[in-house]
Amino acid sequence: MKKNIYILFAAVLVLWSCEDRLEIEPAQSISVEAALSSEANIKGILIGAYDELGQDDNWGGQMQVISDLMGATNQLTWQGTFIQPREYFQKSVLVSNTWTEQMWRNAYETINQVNLVVDNISAIEDPAEANRVEGEARFLRALAYFDLVRHFGAQWQAGGGNTGPGVPLFTNGITDYSGDLSIARSTIAEVYAQVIADLTAAMGLLSATNGEFADQYSAEALLARVYLQQGNYAGARDAANNVIANSGHALAGTFAGAFNNDSDGIEDVFAFQVTNQTGENDLVNYYADQPTGGRQGDIAVAAGYATLFDDPADVRASYTYVSVDNGLNLTLKYSNQFANISVIRLAEMYLIRAESNFREGSTTGDTPLNDINAVRARSAVALGTVDLAAILNERQLELAFEGFLIHDLKRTGTAVGTIAADDPSLISPIPQDEMDTNPLMVQNTGYTN
Amino acid sequence: MKKTLLLTYVLTFMFALSAIAQQTITGRITDDSGEGLPGVNVVIKGTTDGVTTDIDGNYRLSVPGADAVLVFSFVGMDPQEITVGSRTVIDVQMASSATELAELVVVGYGTQSKRFMTDNVAKLSSEDIQGVPIPSFQNALSGKAAGVRVTQQNGKVESGISVSIRGTSSVSAGQQPLFVLDGVPLINDNESQNTSAVNPLLSIPTSDIESIDILKDASSAAIYGARGANGVVIITTKRGKEGKAKFSLNLSSGISRPTNKRDWLNSDQYIELFLEAGDNASWTDRTFVEGRFDRYSNNTWGTPNQFDTDWQDVAFQDGHVRDIDFSVSGGNNGSTYYLGASYNDTKGIILSNELERFSGRANISQKVNDKFTTGINFNYSRVTIDRVANDNAFVTPLQAIAQSPLSPTHFGPDDLANGESGPFTRTVYANFLLQDEFGSYQTVVNRSLGKLFGQYEFTDWIKFNSDFSYDIFNQTEDSWDGSRVPFQSTQGEAYASNVLSTNYIWSNYATFDQVFDAHALNVVVGTEYNQGNRRFVDIESQNFPSDDLQTVTSGATISDGDGTTTAYSFVGYFARAQYSYQDKYVLKASIRRDGSSRFGSDSRFGTFPAVSVGWILSEESFLDGLNAVSFLKFRASYGELGNAELGNFPSRGLFQGVSYNQRPGLAPTQPGNNALSWESSKQTDIGFEFGLFNGRVSGEIDYYKKQTDDLLFEVPLVPSSGALEINRNTGSMENSGIEVILNGDVIQGGDLSWNVGINFATNKNEVISVPEGNDIVSGRNIIREGEVLQSLYMIEYAGVDPANGDALYYLNTENSDGSIDRGTTNDPNAATRIIAGSPIPDVIGGLTSSLRYKNFDCTFTFQGEWGASIYNAGGRFQSANADWFDNQTVDQMARWQNPGDITNVPQARLGEGNGSGHSTRWLQEADFIRLRNITLAYSLPTDLISNAGLSSVRVYATAINLLTFTDYDGYDPEARSDAAARTVTPSPGIDFYSAPAARTFTLGVNIGF
Repeated sequence: MKKNIYILFAAVLVLWSCEDRLEIEPAQSISVEAALSSEANIKGILIGAYDELGQDDNWGGQMQVISDLMGATNQLTWQGTFIQPREYFQKSVLVSNTWTEQMWRNAYETINQVNLVVDNISAIEDPAEANRVEGEARFLRALAYFDLVRHFGAQWQAGGGNTGPGVPLFTNGITDYSGDLSIARSTIAEVYAQVIADLTAAMGLLSATNGEFADQYSAEALLARVYLQQGNYAGARDAANNVIANSGHALAGTFAGAFNNDSDGIEDVFAFQVTNQTGENDLVNYYADQPTGGRQGDIAVAAGYATLFDDPADVRASYTYVSVDNGLNLTLKYSNQFANISVIRLAEMYLIRAESNFREGSTTGDTPLNDINAVRARSAVALGTVDLAAILNERQLELAFEGFLIHDLKRTGTAVGTIAADDPSLISPIPQDEMDTNPLMVQNTGYTN
Repeated sequence: MKKTLLLTYVLTFMFALSAIAQQTITGRITDDSGEGLPGVNVVIKGTTDGVTTDIDGNYRLSVPGADAVLVFSFVGMDPQEITVGSRTVIDVQMASSATELAELVVVGYGTQSKRFMTDNVAKLSSEDIQGVPIPSFQNALSGKAAGVRVTQQNGKVESGISVSIRGTSSVSAGQQPLFVLDGVPLINDNESQNTSAVNPLLSIPTSDIESIDILKDASSAAIYGARGANGVVIITTKRGKEGKAKFSLNLSSGISRPTNKRDWLNSDQYIELFLEAGDNASWTDRTFVEGRFDRYSNNTWGTPNQFDTDWQDVAFQDGHVRDIDFSVSGGNNGSTYYLGASYNDTKGIILSNELERFSGRANISQKVNDKFTTGINFNYSRVTIDRVANDNAFVTPLQAIAQSPLSPTHFGPDDLANGESGPFTRTVYANFLLQDEFGSYQTVVNRSLGKLFGQYEFTDWIKFNSDFSYDIFNQTEDSWDGSRVPFQSTQGEAYASNVLSTNYIWSNYATFDQVFDAHALNVVVGTEYNQGNRRFVDIESQNFPSDDLQTVTSGATISDGDGTTTAYSFVGYFARAQYSYQDKYVLKASIRRDGSSRFGSDSRFGTFPAVSVGWILSEESFLDGLNAVSFLKFRASYGELGNAELGNFPSRGLFQGVSYNQRPGLAPTQPGNNALSWESSKQTDIGFEFGLFNGRVSGEIDYYKKQTDDLLFEVPLVPSSGALEINRNTGSMENSGIEVILNGDVIQGGDLSWNVGINFATNKNEVISVPEGNDIVSGRNIIREGEVLQSLYMIEYAGVDPANGDALYYLNTENSDGSIDRGTTNDPNAATRIIAGSPIPDVIGGLTSSLRYKNFDCTFTFQGEWGASIYNAGGRFQSANADWFDNQTVDQMARWQNPGDITNVPQARLGEGNGSGHSTRWLQEADFIRLRNITLAYSLPTDLISNAGLSSVRVYATAINLLTFTDYDGYDPEARSDAAARTVTPSPGIDFYSAPAARTFTLGVNIGF
């Protein structure tokens, strides 16, 4: 009997020792503390931020599609079956639109990641490396905030106070989510100020070249775009001019050469990288037919686009093909599903410099006519004279389907069909889940839910 | 005992017999198994004279003469009457009565007599679940046990199944009960990689199952501690019995069809409606629509060659089901064995959806000596499933209902000249037939379940068990998209994955069983270690030289790959004691302490106690007068349970590897919360069990209340903070309700017998508190204090403005005085969302009838649910007054056309979203009653088959889902979208192109020899 009890005791003890086996660590993840403590990991988070902002929710394609569909009247049509982009095409976006929600979420995920990089930059010992990493982080943060404020806030009013609601500004990384995270919208002016501050800092921190990552000229080129959106033409002109003059980038020899590149082309000032294993190019998904890697040609080039061309032989007019799925004309700009996604092409810098010089009555770098003809050289006959309308039209000919349309219409005060440029329906609603979780959030005009 | 005497007095009065001569009778009373039965009442009918049997079952009694009739009675056994005649020795073997009270119930680390149980456990025997020719055994539970809701997601053969016991007691943690088969907690993770769920328990054939015991209350489930909060389902497989070998063969074969089809526009209606929609559109006109018609119809519309394709019929197919089970069982010289093999071949009702399973099981035990018994259970099964995409994929067959009826399914011979052949490509959505014909997706699950066990009896009242059990779940998936598959532009793509999930458990426990006079004590003490490991790898390649080469290795580019491992462990210590006095009063208590790797070291252990009492009132003298009441028991229990199903590392703040341009990076994946711990649930159960008229009528009535505190919540964060969710223990929820079970032997006779069982249960689910009191909205579901969990939440449709055909919505905004503005608007952005329905039924129930007449028997089960709503999220495409080119349900022909028209269908305006936003327009009640299964059988007379050496032959015909009564307009009131199945918090109550269940007819035969 005694022996038996000993056996029982032993059995219990055997199990007792199993408590050591409750220590199991995750194999695919590391802790927040580990992630933020080493130089290599901080650099890793920066790489992760590029991946994040390049996802289809933002620069991977949906955001550019939103910009073009919202501005579209007769240049293109939404042919696809998805309801979210169709709401943008119809200019009647519901607050539950999941593309809007994803655009917002993903931009803020990126912002938090780059904030963590900036907060923990001291983990990088080599000052030059620390500058590079911080500069890239600030570039990405500026890019994300500029996109957010353009989509969710009203158009910048040059000379105005711009005190209307922009978007919430987080400039410090968050790792502790236990507290109250509610935050009010900063003003449009505050968001632009942050964007400009980040880009200015990044220009100082970054070198002239940086492989496929953002360099000094990526930041300056983006600054030119921001200034143009604000109507700060002198600033836009000077920034664009510096990029053209000193960045080492050049226009591609042919129009087609500017697109569908597996690695950055000579014209790409900054592009998100896509390979067949990483990154996403959803522009192909929506603009191409199935054999080309898309759906069914969800966005077709419409008749109105052809009427913009002054030169019938313009290669950009015929840079299309017929969809085997729906028989409609599709742009050839997106015919390689593993191509990089250009964010800033040098052609845009020429167009910014031309417009800004024209508006300022200056000829910094070159004359507006020469700049326009520089862009046209590979596509169409040269123009003899230019006016503002011709310059703005040239932007459409050159930059169509690249996510510029609604922002150009808004900054130039051009109505979208019958909808005035400042109509609230041309501003995206604050996503439902942000409204549901953030008591300090205020919805945009025209959306009550 | 006293009651029996009282009964005897009554009988005495009625018959008033007197003694004539004396004669002494002796004998032995035994039970089913031949063991002596002590305490049996032996009474001379019509007198008060009687004795009870001794410890060995013997009795001795004087009777007045040969006419005397002896009445033998014992609780839980059928009473018998025997006329003495000339005999002096009368041995009687008593048979268990039809009541369940004598049954043994498997309760985890032991069994208990149902009579003395203080717990609420539903027991299903092999008879209850056999003969349902559906591969998933969980389906057989439908409608059979009170408060147990079984829902198959949709009509796919491998479809995920949700089992909920007494409502849903968790939000973000697991909501499924713990399944334990022969002691091993089963791996029950859906491992499907195409987001459409696969039932992980498909591997278990019903033919191997001896019984299923469902532990519903805290008192019974508390012995499973941290994993018992959602209830426990204990599956026991068949074992051999000592004696001659028994062979059993079952063959069945049948056909399947969808339970429901819907009415869609034919091509003429389609043309009429969409041309009108084009006319009404402000942004375009009918020429645009006509252009689309040209494309969709291959230029045949309006010609004599116009197509009128019913895509629904293309998506569905005639299914079949074939089952073969064979088993042999028996035992001798202390060994018993059960060997079973089964084969199932199910062709689903959805095109290209098929399943094949074979399984073998050996359960062998050997009594080595007087004290030591050991044995092994072993099972291997292989399930092969040909699958289709999830409900939200364009290439899933049922999304074909969105295609225009103008489109042909395939190109015709004339198209060959243009180089076009095969499935037609110019459809509204990608033609799923391209996927069907040029792609494949196959899932194979190889699974082995086993147990090695030993039992050592130290004395006749102490025994020690050591069980080592394992579950090895190995799933491979292989998919192929040929170059012609929709959206395929990489010259083919192949994908292969492998999941190896293993789970082993080592349980050691000692059982003390002692009876001292009127006191009986049973104590179980034990420890347990459980470890689960999962390893996943997958790889994808593209660019194939030929569509005939379809495995990863032939692709020129390796485009994706993953390799992950994860693990968890549990250590548990448990004890349970049950004490009963005079077979009347029962007290039980249990405690379990569990630790798990899933939680941080600060909150790693939890303790889960339970206590319960039982009182068998029918043993009390004050109930002696109630002759009709043969059994009455009161029981009450309280206990605490845990829920630890929230992934393996839910508390940690984590970063994970990502890549950009093939360079390594890091990204945050989960915000940390070091305080995260168990979700704890406290449950009270009060019930009565009763038997009337010697058990002819029996039943149970229970009230339960289950409160879950420290709910594991994936609390939505402010999206602009950069993270979407955090795991927190916060909030609480309550489930309460009443369960009623009634069983009646309506007719008990030699030739004719009829038994009816009814069960129903109510469930009131209420969210008591949520984090900071804030609503949590996810899509069309809301978690709000005071409401049912994940209530359906959307704006309220108000019909159509008769003046202009605009869709209208109730504003439902709050006025300044607090009242609700019931005005209407045509702007969905101006309307406020309301709680519009519950995804969970208030009442569920089942009715089972078994009728036997001579050699014929007929059994059927009805099942019903009341009080839930269902939102057809596909409605805004399917029934949206021609908003886009999706084919529409025929009810959309009732659209508004002229001022003054009164209708619920807005004016057709192509692409303008007139009424197509999410709203209650597609929300409906999901109440239904379904004839779940009905079987008609005939057993061949024994004399006819015994010459052939057979012991039984039974031929049967079964129908599954023969009848469904519902007002729901969609495919099926039970179907739910499987597209969200991989997320931790699924969207309940949402239907989205979900296939209806199958209606199956089978013919079969059982042969025993």
